[in-house]
Amino acid sequence: MTDTNFLVQFLEWINGYDAVDLAKAASAIAVGFAMIAGIGPGVGQGFAAGKAAEAVGINPKNSKNVTFVMLLGAAIAETSGILSLVVALIFLFANPFVNQTGVALVIACSALGAGLSMIAGIGPGIGQGYAAGKATEAVGRRPKLQSQVTKTMVLGQAVAQTTGIYALIISLILMYVNVFA
Amino acid sequence: MHFEPKYVLQIPDGFPLLGGMWLTNTVISTWIIMVILVLISIFITRNLKEVPEGKQNFAETIVDGINGLVIQTMGKDKLFFAPYMGTLLMYLAFANLSGLLGMRPPTADLNTTFSLSLMTFFMTQYYGMKSKKLGYLKGFGEPFIFMLPTNIVGELANPISLSFRLFGNILAGVVIMTLVYSAMGHFAFVLPAVLHAYFDVFSGLIQTFIFVMLSMVFIAMAMDD
Repeated sequence: MTDTNFLVQFLEWINGYDAVDLAKAASAIAVGFAMIAGIGPGVGQGFAAGKAAEAVGINPKNSKNVTFVMLLGAAIAETSGILSLVVALIFLFANPFVNQTGVALVIACSALGAGLSMIAGIGPGIGQGYAAGKATEAVGRRPKLQSQVTKTMVLGQAVAQTTGIYALIISLILMYVNVFA
Repeated sequence: MHFEPKYVLQIPDGFPLLGGMWLTNTVISTWIIMVILVLISIFITRNLKEVPEGKQNFAETIVDGINGLVIQTMGKDKLFFAPYMGTLLMYLAFANLSGLLGMRPPTADLNTTFSLSLMTFFMTQYYGMKSKKLGYLKGFGEPFIFMLPTNIVGELANPISLSFRLFGNILAGVVIMTLVYSAMGHFAFVLPAVLHAYFDVFSGLIQTFIFVMLSMVFIAMAMDD
């Protein structure tokens, strides 16, 4: 008699598939999940751009300094989006899960986890964008302090990136170290 | 496709201690960068004169810039870190830009970045201990003694995040460039140049600056009250 528990039935159904097919299917979902991190840089860069527009509107003479700081800050805020893109591209073109041996379900879930962990990039993206916006505002007010403000902004953005870097570490470990399988 | 460093050269078997060992392209790139840096240093510091001219102007600009950065970030009393920080800055700048010459950047290998960040970590602990004596260890129990485990984990996380920040950014460049070149094949015009400008030049130099600045800030914070 077959088990009536839905979860057990589901797991048995999953286990019926080939490990490689299952890994590919999970990778496809993981690629999509990884790209959700793009929310972060989007919001953050939008904030920076808004602050820059505001600063230029108040004092158009500083528009060069303001635009420079805004572009620099926004480019750094892009980092978590790029890290997600890299993970997604590795999944698409050099998928390490296809060659792994072990329980099919574990490999598939590792693939999903590797994609899901990159969602953490939302945080650094928003935070770094906020820092970029505030730095832009400060430079708009006092353009003479541009180099010091920029230095502080870059340093703070680097520290704000830390949790995103941790997410990347976990994602790479799941991909290449094969801890569970 | 492989994004890991490749084994490219084997030391001959007769070599003492290291015979038969395989070298990765990371090591080869590092040696090339070392040779270039040493040659440049020897070349621009020959025939130093009281009144600088030509190449000496260039050398003095670099030294002044690094001294200024160290004084501004760490304080005047810590100027003796300038040679180390300057070396780190130049090595990382050359390493991150080496992708432009078709080499694999040594910083796209965790072994390079992690050993550099371990150097920063041990310098932080040593100079913190040296300048604050037991007060440095007491600092881990602040503000409350039950914060001790959190503070220790936080301190140990520093070298990890420092090394992976550089590694992750440079590896991102390597992965994307490899994919673009293999996708475009013989028709790789314009687009790779734009991507090189972003991933190698912009991202590489920003990450160089961040690594050196964070090293300076960590050490200065451990030494100051």
